[in-house]
Amino acid sequence: MKQLPKEYYELLEQLQAVDFVLVELTLYLDTHPNDYQAIQQFNQFAQKRKQLKKQYEETYGPLQQFGNSYSSYPWNWDDTPWPWQV
Amino acid sequence: MFTTRKQYYPYISPFDPCPPIRVKTYVTAPNLYLGFQPPNLPQFSPHEALQKGTLWKVFYDPYYSPYEMANKGDYK
Repeated sequence: MKQLPKEYYELLEQLQAVDFVLVELTLYLDTHPNDYQAIQQFNQFAQKRKQLKKQYEETYGPLQQFGNSYSSYPWNWDDTPWPWQV
Repeated sequence: MFTTRKQYYPYISPFDPCPPIRVKTYVTAPNLYLGFQPPNLPQFSPHEALQKGTLWKVFYDPYYSPYEMANKGDYK
């Protein structure tokens, strides 16, 4: 069965790192609502995450379902590999 | 120098069968020393933050045992 290329894992790890930073910043900003510098950083990472998602989905298919990601043709979000198989 | 590793001196009885451990140390969490988190603390890079489990350097605490310190001393 076709193996996933190395770039797939690198891209996924980048996405994971950006997601983690966003989670940390969200928790931080919950208690520091008027920390302008952190909000700027949050928006930068949110934008970066959108780019990474777009880049990922162009080559490897949708990341999330129910409208969170565009679908390619044919309908393939249920193809292998599933996230736990990766 | 400030460290989160604290120590205490257990009572040593003259009848202890084994050689006594005179000083015992324990690690305290870094967030104890930081009340309300101040803004603009130094941060890790995203990749490193993912590995270390926290975004801010001050909260990184791998809870090493005193014996691990020798070889894995990447402690701050």
